[in-house]
Amino acid sequence: MSSADGNEFDEAGVDMDNLTEQDLLLLAELDVLFDKVDPVPADLVERVQFAIALEDLDVEVARWERAEELAGVRGAGPNTVTFTVEDLTIMVSFAPAGAGYRFDGWLVPGGPHTVEVRVAGHSSTTAEADEGGRFAVDDVPKGTTQLVVHLANGTGSRPRTIVTPTLML
Amino acid sequence: MAVDTWDGLTGHDPWEGLTGHDRHAACLVAARAGNRKALDVLVADLTPLVWHVTRSQGLDKVHAEDVVQTVWLALLRHLDRLQQPKALAAWLIVTARREAQRAKTTGFDRETPVAAEDLVDIPTQVDGPEQHALRDDRDRRLWAAFKQLTDRCQKLLTLTVLSGRAQYDAVAEALEMPRGSIGPTRGRCLTSLRELLDVEGGPQ
Repeated sequence: MSSADGNEFDEAGVDMDNLTEQDLLLLAELDVLFDKVDPVPADLVERVQFAIALEDLDVEVARWERAEELAGVRGAGPNTVTFTVEDLTIMVSFAPAGAGYRFDGWLVPGGPHTVEVRVAGHSSTTAEADEGGRFAVDDVPKGTTQLVVHLANGTGSRPRTIVTPTLML
Repeated sequence: MAVDTWDGLTGHDPWEGLTGHDRHAACLVAARAGNRKALDVLVADLTPLVWHVTRSQGLDKVHAEDVVQTVWLALLRHLDRLQQPKALAAWLIVTARREAQRAKTTGFDRETPVAAEDLVDIPTQVDGPEQHALRDDRDRRLWAAFKQLTDRCQKLLTLTVLSGRAQYDAVAEALEMPRGSIGPTRGRCLTSLRELLDVEGGPQ
């Protein structure tokens, strides 16, 4: 495979156009520099690893529609976040309760879907949405949190699973 | 949960001892076979690439973090669809750019009347906030020189470095450049950088 003289490039079928030793050193220096100038947030890798540690990998990703001031989710008042995937909207309000949070959510269009709340370091909690798509989860612990929605099967259709990026609660 | 076939067979990780592109290809193959640790290795190795591509699209840190997560989550169901392991970096770059653009057009750009992409072209502010992160004199000079390169040179060198240097296809696709012109252009970018670094003074 890759030999000591740097032929991994050739092996990949890529001609490095005779980059000199000096070029490679400068590139290596830039590599270090980029991480100093704009470091990857300390816990981001960990959060991504948590987010993808799913039982089923055949998932659709709901994107976060951020409300203007919600950056980072701070403060004590109730907050609402919205995630969307092409044909589903997930809205969740969360309010401090006890040592953690209470979630009140709404799936549109509604249906008896199953909502799983995953929190890093805790076992996940599951709630069933009612016909109108409303669901509630008590006692969600603080931490890196992700929603996984298992859509109720329409007749004959494949089961679908929707996941969100993580929230920091 | 799928079985870690590779570990069971060989007693060690298939990417062990490999670097750069070979390592990522081995991880991708293992990940397809259900090896979750391989996915974690890819995330650890390539999140800097996804992060910097996303940030270079002009997203602030908070939004960039969402996009990075979205990109990795989106990869999950694409694991089996990537034509060849080599295509992984290209897929990550292209998806990160697309997701960043999407994030910008859904609400984010209301707060940034100047198209964030244009900001990259504004000539260097030598004492921008990033200067504080650079205590070393050499770093400061190199960064100052780098920021004086054209936008295209900056992107080309950034992607070259972060995608493991070998992946011309990924870089060419991301920059919409013909593959054959990457090498010469990069050579010119490096020469410019070296000249600018000379102007910044000090030993190389």
